[in-house]
Amino acid sequence: MKPKPHPLLRVARLLTVLALLASPIAAMPSEGDATGLKTVDQDVQTLKKQLIDLNRDLFKLEEELLYPASTQVAVFLSMNVGTFFALDSVTLKVDDKEVANYLYTEREVQALHRGGVQKLYLGNLKAGSHEIVAFFTGKGPHDRDYRRGTTLKVDKTVGAKYVELRITDREASLQPEFVVRQWE
Amino acid sequence: MRQRSSTTRLYAICIVMVLGAAAAWTAHADEPARDAPPPTKIRDLDYGDVLFHFFQDDYFESIVRLEANRDFNRLKNHAAEAELLSGGLYLSLGLHTEAERIFDRLLAGPVAPSVRDRARFYLARIGYQRGYYEAALRNLGLIGQPLAGKLEPERRLLEANVLMSLGRYGEAAQRLESWSDTGGWSNYARFNLGVALVRAGDTARGRQFLDQVGTLQPVNEEQASLRDRANLALGFALLQQQGGDDPAVVLSRVRLDGPFTNKALLALGWAEANANHPDRALVPWLELQQRRLLDASVQESLIAVPYAYVKLASNGQASQHYRSAIDAYARESRRIDESIAAIRQGGFLDSILATVPQGDRPGWFWQLEQLPDAPHTRYLYHLLASHEFQEGLKNYRDLRLMQANLSRWTDSLEAFGAMIEAREIAATEREPRRQEMLSGTDLDALAQRQQELADRFAQVEANRDVAALASPQERAQWEALARIDATLAAMPPGPQRDEFTERARLLRGALSWELDRAYKLRATQTRRDLRETRAALAEAGTRLAAIAEAGDLIPRDTLGFAGRVNELADRVARIAPLIDNTALAQERALADLAVTELQAQQKRLGSYSTQAQFALASLYDGATAGGGR
Repeated sequence: MKPKPHPLLRVARLLTVLALLASPIAAMPSEGDATGLKTVDQDVQTLKKQLIDLNRDLFKLEEELLYPASTQVAVFLSMNVGTFFALDSVTLKVDDKEVANYLYTEREVQALHRGGVQKLYLGNLKAGSHEIVAFFTGKGPHDRDYRRGTTLKVDKTVGAKYVELRITDREASLQPEFVVRQWE
Repeated sequence: MRQRSSTTRLYAICIVMVLGAAAAWTAHADEPARDAPPPTKIRDLDYGDVLFHFFQDDYFESIVRLEANRDFNRLKNHAAEAELLSGGLYLSLGLHTEAERIFDRLLAGPVAPSVRDRARFYLARIGYQRGYYEAALRNLGLIGQPLAGKLEPERRLLEANVLMSLGRYGEAAQRLESWSDTGGWSNYARFNLGVALVRAGDTARGRQFLDQVGTLQPVNEEQASLRDRANLALGFALLQQQGGDDPAVVLSRVRLDGPFTNKALLALGWAEANANHPDRALVPWLELQQRRLLDASVQESLIAVPYAYVKLASNGQASQHYRSAIDAYARESRRIDESIAAIRQGGFLDSILATVPQGDRPGWFWQLEQLPDAPHTRYLYHLLASHEFQEGLKNYRDLRLMQANLSRWTDSLEAFGAMIEAREIAATEREPRRQEMLSGTDLDALAQRQQELADRFAQVEANRDVAALASPQERAQWEALARIDATLAAMPPGPQRDEFTERARLLRGALSWELDRAYKLRATQTRRDLRETRAALAEAGTRLAAIAEAGDLIPRDTLGFAGRVNELADRVARIAPLIDNTALAQERALADLAVTELQAQQKRLGSYSTQAQFALASLYDGATAGGGR
């Protein structure tokens, strides 16, 4: 005769299965644990805010100390659509001296596509006339290697000088276009 | 009675599934990259720079630049957007209180309706995440227009989740039913709707929606996981009904290598066992037995297998499996003891973090790929699924990244200090030269001389004194003619004097003609020279003033910078130990949580072991009563 398992055993097992499914709930912290975590979370929030404020002040100090407005020049890079050009790198020269050579990650290129503007270079220039040259390297139409340069004469005055390098699509010729623009 | 118990529990499953759905949604909602601000024409390049880091999920760098550039007044053309973005960034970094303060401030001021609506959406999300469901629902209700981009489907899903959290399942179902969106959120919506309908008592319709998700063709891991979850939920809903559709069919749709496989295999076995197919139940359960015993479903299978053997009247095999199970549970319980001891020793969070990809971005969106099979991490799989543990772990990681950040700044501050010192020395060295230049230049005397010349020229112009502008040679000629006139006056009259007089007259006439002819040009030239002299004097005055001012400013500037460096170094020194202490507190809190979880697992193993021993005893009793088999 086959021994019959105790009926409660079967129920217990089913309940165990079901309790098992509820494991995310079981894994929730108890009230005491949760209170402890919340307290720490509050402390972490306070600390993070302090650290963000500290970093903000350090960032400002660094810029004011190293790049005062009277000599500051900043070069930004942006991309508008950019379907005809896949950016790999940019080389920047100021008065024939290389000041930046930047290789882009896929993530950074995506950030540019989505409207981000990269602060490519921050430096100092004396008042007067200067020449900024940028070389863009990447893949052009039909996946062909593509390298283009663009030049801008800037007249550095007393205030900070902002320059934007902009990669756009020239729909008429299905070619990329590289524009340099000074901001006041 | 037995049936009622299992029914109650099956409802509990649905609750779990709802929570699971909410958790899945929350995981998405924590990704602010999906909440990217609508495309905007950049009018301040520095705002674009903030976005550049934001779009790379580098929220810490993004908020620091946003705050700094705002202080520099460089975001004035994007003021409202920047404010909204800062709230989103604080939220992403886990600073709910700060984020809430920003959104409240935004709503108190005059802002564009679209910005207002997004602020309300974020406030609703914070409310939902923190359990303030009524407030969340109120904020959602105040949103006037559909939100831009992917935020609108997320808003609808959030509203449904809030309603479900408030127990208003019928309304949640109503909102989701009218949703025609075919984007990424719709599968979550269908899943939630299915669960909501089951919970609201409309099991038939609920099953319909769960079945839709359970049969979708997944295009990524996220969808495959949701499909598995829907099939699991549906499988249990069918198990609950008993006599309806075969749950085994649905449960068989769960992948064999997904996060829900073990649960599905266990449930599949129960479905077969319930259908009086213990032989078929053995198939998934024996498969489960081959898997890692760390998993609770595998632990459960150790007693499920002998149960099936009992049903098949193979009591010998059943006894053998029960004995093996009891041994396995005892071994596992000892391993848990080891784990608890290891966790209490400290450092277990660093071991967990060592398994994640390296990066220095404090944020919420990194994944734990796999945990090492070490005593302190072996059993934490379920714990990691809990929101609280994840949040705590992320906080701990952020704290470690903060330490690295402060360490870097400490080095920079030292360099800044050295630089300021060098500037002071350079300024001191330049001082004698500066003083010499200042004392050796009499700009007032030069200005007076310039004025005298200007006055004199004014007289020349008034009298049209052409001779006053004569060249030195012409002047000499003019004077020579004057001398000749005097000589001629002394000569006796006569033809010779008349001839000389006539020649002198001609020469004077020629010279006068030349002076008169050149006067206009010379006056213009002189006027320009005077103007340039005046400008040069002014320029010299400016430069001299700048040199004088530089002398006053440079020491003051370096002192100002030195003061800032010192103040910031003090702040770094104050914050560093706070980070250490908070990281330690965080580790202790999570260790307590982990130990509590492990003890619960140990208790469950004890329960399984008791059940196995009880069943084994029953078998022996039966064997004794029946004469053995």
